[in-house]
This record gives sequence, structure tokens and C-alpha cells, in this order.
Amino acid sequence: MKKLGILLALALVIGGALPGLAQDMMDYPSDLTACEVDLTGETINIFHFGDLSGPYAFITQPIVSAVTDAVSYWNSRGGVCGAELAQIYEDTGGSREAAQSAYDRFTSTYSDELDLLLLYSSDDGELLREQLAEDEIVSYISAGSIESLYGEDGQTPGWLYASNPLYINQFGSFCQFVAASPEVFPDPVIGFVTWPNAFGRAGTEPAAREYCGGLGVEVLADPQFFLPTDTDILTQVQNAIDAGANIIYTNSLATGPALIAGTLVDLGLEEEIKLAGVNWVMDTTVGLIGQRVLKPNGLPSVDGMFGSMPFLWWTELSNPAVQFVYQQFTLNERGPAEQNIAYLLSWGVVDAIIETTLRTVNRMGSLNAVTGADIRDTVAAMDYEVLGGLYHQYFEESMRDGVLNRIAVLKFANTTMTGPAAGPEDALLIDNPAGGKLFVPIVVPLTDFMEVPQLRG
Amino acid sequence: MTESINRNKRQLTWALYILAAVALLLFMGDQLAGKKAARIVQTLISGVLVGGVYGLVALGIVVINKASGVFNFAHGWMMVVGGMIFWSFFTVSEISVAGASLLAAATMLMMLTTASYRNLLERRNLLIAAGGTVGLTALMTVGGIEWRWLHALTGTVAGAILTGLAVERFTIRPLIGQPLFTAVLMTLAVAEVLHGVTQIAWGTVELDLPIFVDPQTNSRFKPIRLDAFREALDGLAIIRVELVIAFVLALLAFVGFILFFRYTSVGLAMRATSEDQQLAQSVGLRVRVILAITWAAAAFLASIAGVLQGGAVGLSLNISFVALRVFPAVLLGGLESVTGALVGGIIIGIVEQFGTLINSSQQVGANLAPYVVLMLVLVIRPEGLFGEKRIERI
Repeated sequence: MKKLGILLALALVIGGALPGLAQDMMDYPSDLTACEVDLTGETINIFHFGDLSGPYAFITQPIVSAVTDAVSYWNSRGGVCGAELAQIYEDTGGSREAAQSAYDRFTSTYSDELDLLLLYSSDDGELLREQLAEDEIVSYISAGSIESLYGEDGQTPGWLYASNPLYINQFGSFCQFVAASPEVFPDPVIGFVTWPNAFGRAGTEPAAREYCGGLGVEVLADPQFFLPTDTDILTQVQNAIDAGANIIYTNSLATGPALIAGTLVDLGLEEEIKLAGVNWVMDTTVGLIGQRVLKPNGLPSVDGMFGSMPFLWWTELSNPAVQFVYQQFTLNERGPAEQNIAYLLSWGVVDAIIETTLRTVNRMGSLNAVTGADIRDTVAAMDYEVLGGLYHQYFEESMRDGVLNRIAVLKFANTTMTGPAAGPEDALLIDNPAGGKLFVPIVVPLTDFMEVPQLRG
Repeated sequence: MTESINRNKRQLTWALYILAAVALLLFMGDQLAGKKAARIVQTLISGVLVGGVYGLVALGIVVINKASGVFNFAHGWMMVVGGMIFWSFFTVSEISVAGASLLAAATMLMMLTTASYRNLLERRNLLIAAGGTVGLTALMTVGGIEWRWLHALTGTVAGAILTGLAVERFTIRPLIGQPLFTAVLMTLAVAEVLHGVTQIAWGTVELDLPIFVDPQTNSRFKPIRLDAFREALDGLAIIRVELVIAFVLALLAFVGFILFFRYTSVGLAMRATSEDQQLAQSVGLRVRVILAITWAAAAFLASIAGVLQGGAVGLSLNISFVALRVFPAVLLGGLESVTGALVGGIIIGIVEQFGTLINSSQQVGANLAPYVVLMLVLVIRPEGLFGEKRIERI
């Protein structure tokens, strides 16, 4: 009930900026390759597995919803070149053993069909990197660690392709932004307060420190780690501040950034210490959870948090890709917690899988003739606006991650939905069915898309 | 030489551990020397408050162990289920009467048949069950959202009793007389079942549980700032109100359970059952009923911990992992000791926080320090700080 209430409220808010959108069915925004082969009677399977119920569940759970919606969208329109779409997925709960087991099951059960696999996490990418190469299976992933994409030496591109820039490169572009904004970040010193897994540690490498140091942005050598179950991280935050940090950077999601922001407010340091993070900190969940603590100015604790935004966001409704996903989200009556990064990007990934498959089938003459190596050749040659502009997919020969990023700030909408609220008095508040009011989180890009620095060494 | 080492093995082991302890203390002293007093005080406050919640979780595990000797690996998932049930009643403005009735009826039915299914044949029992169902349903659905605390508390108590009784009835009871290890493994299976049920019923996304919210500002309670001591401490220390509330509730639960075990007939029966189930049965104690009550009590404690943890950081499947962090506290305090659960929880909380203060970048606080302390204590007192020393006569 609560979810539905918030969904209706958010839908009302965002839908208000889109007159007539819900009534007129939009055309598919992407310029897909024309069919040269009739695939009637065939099935294109979208294979994916990962953590749907463990620490990443906040983010990943809407992947299944988005792929389900995309599959039914295509199948209700006769499929892709006549081929029916289907999804085959498994929840690994964040366990490496379960991920390995899922991989073994997929590769043994679908040995002839599995040429392209969607993965969710750096940990799974690192685990399966060598096996994917051996089995010649291409994997799309939204963001990966250096080891998952380029091996332990950081120089050996594998079979995983990430649409987002490496986390370390995202951090590098944040350093660029900090260095270019001395009025906001005078004498910048960045301290990591982050999760202790492969994802959380990304960006803490010496190469990142060196690069940022070269720009005049000091990065503390010792990251402070906390667990997703921690209720009190005063010690970690104060450690970073005592070491000189005036910017806290985090590779965590959902409760993670919200907990840090709340701690800064508790310490009365919300203005003095800036908070920033990887692309996941800009997610809706953070905007909603971060409302548990208000700043002295009356806005939520996460208001003003900086982060990477290497793709378009829900609020960029002038773009047909976002309009389209928003319309599908509404038509499928999805819940507010699903209006997140994963839902948006998963529509993009399905589009990328369809385009990759079509190009390969056209070249090879039939779906059955396609191998993982053929898919890899296709990916290497692709220069493609995914879903007509949600993000750009182009991998140079030795590249396995996206190269474009921009920096954005998490804010809360004003009453006229024309921009961020300056204070609670002009903030848009919607009824929370559980009692009280809710601020409406928005993401405001601060830079254009720009190339990220390459920091993997 | 080898013979001499073998002969003095125990003394040598002791000496090594003492050396390690001294080295650790010296290291800590050195590390803390440069810290401001405010940081040390803050770390101590955080450790005690977080440790109180650990103690509450540990208590649930201890209660089961005390009565049945089973180490309950499903406790973390019982926390999640309890928290989710609370959320369902707390955040929903119109509660389904049918759903609430079903929960109430199932709970009453399980309670009624705890001793025997034959109880269903007695008219008086059925009337009690019907009355209980109506009463519970009324408490869960009366009024609007302004009554949500009543709805949520009643629903959570009913849900916890139902969960505890169901786990005992369908998984533990059939194993009475089997090796204890079988029951322990069964709790692992129960954990997975509860994991699945939780996902199906509530999904996997983070749920906000706004219980620690100031109704005036609709935001979390402001922390208590120790401004008066700022100068003396050379910095600011704060006390988070929600952690204080959680700590006080944990203390109340402890006092309640200590009194329960010491002064009630059921509590004494539980202690007797834990000593020897067959002997307890032979003197007329209804072991089945006692075990059922124990599991219901543990589920209730798990629910309280789940609600408190969910209120502090949000409800998610992750909170089940808190139970894993509490295992050192349980062993440290002693597997059968209620007092030990609290003391163990607080010690582990403090050790974690100081470990983090000294070296968070290597996760000393979460991964290393609690286990080092645990090892040291277990070497000196294998039964834990407050555990009962077992002497078996041959």
C-alpha cells in the first residue's frame, strides 16, 4: 500500500511534466538495425544472473521487472524479426558459490544458445572473467572493477563489457570536477568512507591518488570501511575527518550514502564536509532513505550530494529514451522503489542485446550460426546510441568500459518542478501514506558528458 | 626438547596468548595515545549502544540454546520476518481484516494445539481460540493509521508467536531424540526457508521503517550533543537517541528474561529441560510445550531486534547478517547465560568500535578484533565469561 501510494504520488509529479504522455503510445526510441533474416519461430533468450536478494538487492531487484516489461513489449508486437524474446535468470543472493553454480548450470543447460550474458556485480565479473573467455561468452555489465574487465594486471581486456566507466575512472572525473570548482571545494582533501567489497574498494587504488594529487586534490591513503548492516558509523566518518578529509567519497548504495549523510548532520558538519560518490549514490533509493534525517535548513541530509551520472536520468524527460522508459514503467504499474537506475538501464541493456544479436544474425545468416566470438566481433564494431540516447555504447579495441561521464548533484524538487528547492518552504512535498510528507528527489547534471581519465594503470 | 614442549604445552599456549594480549594492549595504547578524548568517549558510547542491540540478538540465540541445546542459525531470518511483519502493520493505513483474522486464527490455533491436536476436540478450547482470534483481529485493525503502534505491536507479537511455534512444531519437534547436530542443521534449513518466504512476501528492496521519527519534524530524532563537555573532551561527542531507545529496550528485555528464568515456573522448567530433556519429562514436565514456548519467546526477541535494527538503518534482507556478527558475543558471554549475552554483546560492540577507531581501513573492528578477544577469552574460560562449567562423572 505504501509503495503504491508513493508510486502514484511520484508518477503524478513526474507525469505532470509530460502532458499527454500516458495517453499516446510512443514509438520505440531506438534506431535498430533492419532485419535481414526472418527469425520467426526462434527465441532470443536474455540470460542474466546475480544478486537479487543480498546486499545489492536494493539496486538489482528492478532488473527482472525491466527485462520482463521489455520482453512483453517486444512479444506483444510480434517479437524481434519474428523471434520471441524470453528471459532466463537466477538469483545468487550475492554468494560467489551460487554465482559459480548458476554459471555452470547456464553453460551446461544452454551450451548452444548462451553467447551473451548479463551480469550485475564486479564480484561476479571477477569470479567468471577467465571462464567467460574460455567458454567464449560475451558479458554485458553496467559497471565493473579493473580486475573483472582487464584482469589482475589491468592490461588484459576480457569478454566483459561495461556500459559505465570503471569506478576508478568515475572517481578520476570527480577529481577533475573538484579541481575545476575551487569555489565549492577549496583545499580539497578526499577521504573514502565505503563498503569493503570489490565495488566499495574501487577508486582507492594508488593510481587514483596519484592522478587526483596531480590535479591538486589530495586523497587520503586509508579508506574507512563500513558494512551494510552497521547502524553507527560515527567512528569511520570521524576517522576520515580527523585525517583531514573535507570531502567524503563513497562506493556504497541505498542505506550507505544515507547513513554517511545522516552522520554528517548529527555531527553538525553537513555544510563543512561535502559528500560524493559513484553513480549508484544518485539513485532514487538514496533520495528516499536520506529523508530520515533533515539538515538544519530543513532539506534532507542527502541534498547536495555529488555523484557520477554516465547515463540519462529519469528526470531528463526531454529525451525520447527516458520518455519511453517512463511510459513503460507507468503502463506496467511498477512500484516507486523500482523507479531506479536498474530499471532504466535494463531497458537499455535489452536494447543493446537486441541490436547486438540483430547485427550478428544479419552477418552470420541465422540465429543458430551465431557464436560468442561472432558476438564479440559485433560488439567491437558497434558505435551505438542505446535506446536512442540513454547511453552510448562504443568500445575501442582495448577498451572494456564506457568512456563518458558527467557529474551531477542530488537535489529535491521545488513546488513548480522547475528546479531544485532552496529550502523546505518551496520544496515539493507529497503525501507519504505511512504518515507525513515526502520530498521528491531529482538529479541535476552539473557538467556535460566528458571523457573520463584512464586510471587503471 | 620435544618432550619438554609436549609436557608444558598448556603453559606454553597460555604464555603465548598472554604475550599476544599484552602486545595487543600495548598496540592499542600506542594507537589511542594520539586520539582526542572526545573520540575515545564517542567510540565508547557507540560501542555500548550498538553492543546493547547485539546483546538483544544474542539473547534470542541464548534462550533457544538454554532450553534445547540447539544453536539457532535461523535467528537472523527470524529478525527479518519480525521486522517485516511490524512494517506491514505500521505503514499501512487500511489493514485487511481478512489478513489480520487469518494471522490471529493461525496463531491461536498453533497455541491451542501446542500440547496436542486433541485439544481441538474440546468446546471450551475452541471458544477460547475464537475469542482470542476476534480480540487479536480487533487490536490489529481498530481505528486508522493513528493507531498504528497498537496494530504493529499486536501483529508483531502474533506473528512472532506463530513463527516460533511453527518452526518448533514442524521442524524441531520431529527431531526430538535425534542427535543435536541434526536440529542445528535444521535451523540452517529453516533460515533458507524464511529467506525465501521473506522475498516472496515483501520483495527484496529496502523498506523504510520510520519508528525513530520526531512527529513534530517528521525526521529522525536529533542526537544529544554533549556540548557541555566539548572543552573537557577537546571535541564534540554525541549520543544517537534511536540507539539509546534500542539500548533501553534491550535492557528491559534482559531484566524481563532474567526474572522469567529465575522466578517463574515456566522459566524454571525451561532450565530443567535444558539440563536433560528425558529427565525433565520423567518428572512430569511437558517438554514439548516448554520447547514451543522457548521458540516463541526467541522469535519475539528476534522480532524486537529486527524492528530496532530496521528502524535504525532501514529494513532489508541484510539485517539477517547482524546475527552472524553476534555469534562471537554469544560464545564470549557463554552459550547458556542470559547475563552473558548482554555482557558479550556490549564487549563485542566496544571492541568493534575501538578496532574501527584504530584501523578501519583493514576492517580490524569488524573482522579481526572481536575474534581475537573471543579466542583469548575462550582459552582462559572455554565455557565463556558466564557460561556453566560442565563436569561429567564417568
